[in-house]
Amino acid sequence: MAEMQTAESGGSKKKGGKKVRSKKMSTRVDLTPMVDLGFLLITFFMLTTTLAKPQIMALVMPEKDIKKEDIEPVKESKVLTLLLGANDKVYWYEGITDAKLDSTNYAAEGLRQVILNKKDKVKGQFGEEDYEDFKTKEPRKGSFINVIIKPTKEAKYKNLVDALDEMAICKVRYYVILDVSELELEFMKNPAGGLKFNVEEQIQAATQ
Amino acid sequence: MPKHKPKRGNPSIDMTAMCDVAFLLLTFFMLTAKAKPQETVVVDTPSSISETKLPDAGILTILISKEGKIFLDMAGQHTRKSLIEDINSRFQMGMSEEQQIKFANAGSFGIQRKQLKQWLDLPPGERGTFPTEGIPVDTADVNKSELADWIHNARLAQFRMKQEGKVKEEYVMVVKADKDTPYPAVQKVINTLVDINVNKFNLITNTESDPGKKKGEKPAGEGK
Repeated sequence: MAEMQTAESGGSKKKGGKKVRSKKMSTRVDLTPMVDLGFLLITFFMLTTTLAKPQIMALVMPEKDIKKEDIEPVKESKVLTLLLGANDKVYWYEGITDAKLDSTNYAAEGLRQVILNKKDKVKGQFGEEDYEDFKTKEPRKGSFINVIIKPTKEAKYKNLVDALDEMAICKVRYYVILDVSELELEFMKNPAGGLKFNVEEQIQAATQ
Repeated sequence: MPKHKPKRGNPSIDMTAMCDVAFLLLTFFMLTAKAKPQETVVVDTPSSISETKLPDAGILTILISKEGKIFLDMAGQHTRKSLIEDINSRFQMGMSEEQQIKFANAGSFGIQRKQLKQWLDLPPGERGTFPTEGIPVDTADVNKSELADWIHNARLAQFRMKQEGKVKEEYVMVVKADKDTPYPAVQKVINTLVDINVNKFNLITNTESDPGKKKGEKPAGEGK
């Protein structure tokens, strides 16, 4: 800085002599806009680097080889089956016996309400039950439902994630993704015909 | 005695130092920011309320495009090199050392094994235009499925590298599919993973606010 000032004063001495020079401009460049730009870019990079990391959703699938002895029967009235259909529609039915097919969508008042209603119903019927915490093996109390998610061929990946998301939102502890069966496809086409599930056959098919 | 007033200086502040700092930081952030890996497919992931972040290292990504084509991407050059050496010798592909190094540095790939050499010989910028049907999957027979082979051996390679101390962690399996991907394509991948005993994996999603948390209330049912 000091050097620049002396340079300027030297220039003014000369001025009186020969040439008529226009007033010499300061050689200093105003760096403020450059600093502004610098910090703008810093902010940009700081924000993008931390935000770019995507979220992950853990998914655990059942093992492929299930033995018949490992099958633990669940109460039919606790089971809610979701059939993920085409055009963002979910078909659902409760239990197996006299199952009635209904459909809803993925909105907050759609699928979520179905799950919450089911939870309330199960809670009213069975009350709080003892269970063991998955990780810590601590005894706990609570009511729970079993949700079976069966995406059909027409379903989109988004539908699956939405359904899994509802499990997280509604805190459904037991849910599983299974392949849709022929009987259910039939049921979807013709709800009045009823679901002709044979439990024994299903177990046979799953454990072969 | 009157106060001696010092000569008033220029009121403008010297910005040079600040500018230096700003650009130093800028350089730092630019260099530390991970360059977005070149992806052969554009995938628009669905959103979920999950808040778990993707780990930094040791991820094996299975990309599923909108059309249901399957691509693979694995982290770690050492692992990729080890993997391609293994694949090369097992299937007698006759890849040159140069091609193997190219594979180690390539990003995601989604081509048949027999086309791999051809694909690697293209300059990286043109690889995206290579006509491909994705990595072939055979859901009926795992031993014939190229996808299953890639994933299984990539995990083995990563495990070898871990034992050699070149990497710290085993692979975390990540499925990244487009929200409009038809379910059968996703099902193929999930079935393949289950077939090779990968029962736990992760789905990449975007963030979405949790409606339960937002209202500050717990959804009915649990834990009351």
